[in-house]
Amino acid sequence: MNRAAIVVCWIMAIGLALFLVIPLLVIAAASFSPTPVFDLPLTGASTRWYGRIGRLDGFWPSLLLSLQIALLSTAISLVSGTLAAIAIARGKLPGAGIFATALVSPLMMPGLVLGIALLQGFRAVGFTAPWATLLVAHLVITLPYVARTMIAGLARFDFTLIEAARTLGCTYPGSVLRVMVPALAPSFLIAGIFSFLASFDNYPVSIFLADVRTKTLPIRMLQYIEEAPDPTLAALSTLILLGTVILLFVSDRVVGLHRMAGTSD
Amino acid sequence: MSEAAQHLVVRGVSKRYGPTTVLDHIDLTIRRGELVTLLGPSGCGKTTLLRAIAGLAQPDTGKVELAGRDITNVPPHKRNVGVVFQSYALFPHLTVAGNVAFGLKVRGAPKGEIDAAVERALALVKLGHLAGRRISALSGGQQQRVALARAIAVEPDVLLFDEALSALDRKLREEMQVELRRLLQDVKATAIFVTHDQDEALTMSDRAAVMNKGRIEQLAEPRELYLRPASLFALNFVGLSTRISGTVLAANDGKVDVETKLGRMSALGNFQAGSPVIVAARPEQLRLGEQGEANSAAGRVRSVVFQGSRTLVEVDAGAGESLLAELSGRDGTIPRVHDEIRLSWPVAETFAFPMDAQA
Repeated sequence: MNRAAIVVCWIMAIGLALFLVIPLLVIAAASFSPTPVFDLPLTGASTRWYGRIGRLDGFWPSLLLSLQIALLSTAISLVSGTLAAIAIARGKLPGAGIFATALVSPLMMPGLVLGIALLQGFRAVGFTAPWATLLVAHLVITLPYVARTMIAGLARFDFTLIEAARTLGCTYPGSVLRVMVPALAPSFLIAGIFSFLASFDNYPVSIFLADVRTKTLPIRMLQYIEEAPDPTLAALSTLILLGTVILLFVSDRVVGLHRMAGTSD
Repeated sequence: MSEAAQHLVVRGVSKRYGPTTVLDHIDLTIRRGELVTLLGPSGCGKTTLLRAIAGLAQPDTGKVELAGRDITNVPPHKRNVGVVFQSYALFPHLTVAGNVAFGLKVRGAPKGEIDAAVERALALVKLGHLAGRRISALSGGQQQRVALARAIAVEPDVLLFDEALSALDRKLREEMQVELRRLLQDVKATAIFVTHDQDEALTMSDRAAVMNKGRIEQLAEPRELYLRPASLFALNFVGLSTRISGTVLAANDGKVDVETKLGRMSALGNFQAGSPVIVAARPEQLRLGEQGEANSAAGRVRSVVFQGSRTLVEVDAGAGESLLAELSGRDGTIPRVHDEIRLSWPVAETFAFPMDAQA
């Protein structure tokens, strides 16, 4: 490759990485600001904003709700999405390609459109319980992530492995549990993480289904920023960021090390 | 017959998938310790028969007995068979030792027993030093050995190989054929190989079954299969041959005189006068020049292929017929392309097959 071209590409790679990371660094820095208004250069550091997170109005119910919805919708999506992916990848389902596209289609739709469509749809059938509508809506958000990852994972899975396990003394369900599930563990983990994160930080769909008592964390955070824009929100964002990084790091270690050592049980 | 002589018995097994008959009343009896090959082109039913024995395919009719037990309706996990798959089907999340231990673990064997069996099986395939490796870190040949060790470790009543060597490259495959045969004989295993590779069948088995369209055309020792093919299909599938079409003129006592476009020939076979037949002989039976009491034909050499210990000579005999001769070169000169030569071969090594059975 031409030397100048390499230099241009290097600059691009480094520049883009900074472009993506700098806002995150800024918010982390802002969270330690000693004054209510974040200003550069920093004149000291303080952790008092972290202490205030828990005292934010309605913070704990919103956090709990977001965790509930994200975990439940991820769990339901993982089971149902995997079964659907098996049908598509393996079950000789007529028109499997169409079903696969349909399962992944919410990914390509703007969240706002999805939110309005779900609101209208739920109203039309008289389904208005806020918690339940949020859960169903978040299934629409999380299923595509699971379906996409599991269809890809299953496409690479050799179903002869199940036959091998059966001839070695496993029942059919036993073979699925002892061979298919662990062999697909990386796919499950990736699908689960993306599904959880997509649900946890969703705003455009949730906003149409939330009411005064049922507000997810992203909705609550936007409300805080309108009411009192002080570094408490930056502190909360930094914690979420930290949580996400730990989650990704740990799962990479778990699956990665597991694969490297080649051990199970 | 004793139990050992009827270790595995397949009786009248049929299997249809929609309109296709995949297995057509298969009968097969295998002795304990015997190595048998199911040989045939893709779609002949050999893999389905293997799967029916393993319990992975349920026959529509018929029975399967293994070690004196009717296993027709026994699920695969209770059959005590070992299967080596074409793709090896090794568990990617387990180590080499974990794969080999799998069957015993599932059976709930005590840990000490498992460890000893794993060590034994890995030593048998000379992979003891790789016990802790990941599967993805192994070569194709090593994976093949792990799959074998995994199947052997549970001490199955029969070992089934589904095109198990076909993914290896030619040289490695030929080495494995010899080594595998010796290994299986050492542990006194009963084994069935499914393959489309005739060399594998001839090398590995005590007996080989040539399968075609869901039926066993011939079940015989490799030598007999080659020297006395029972059908035109068996003749074509195992080894090379010269084949000339003709019509039976006269028949007497297991011998026929056949009128061909290359002249009158004699062959072994029982036919009525007037039957259309194919007259065939193995290429190594064809010699340069005339012999007494022999069939012969002349033509122009079309190609000469040197293959080391032998040279294959193809001759255009005119009238759309060709001859294939395998000459050693020791007893005379090898002809060149375009030479006019005459070839002859003994009547006792010439067979007649019905024309309509051509596959």
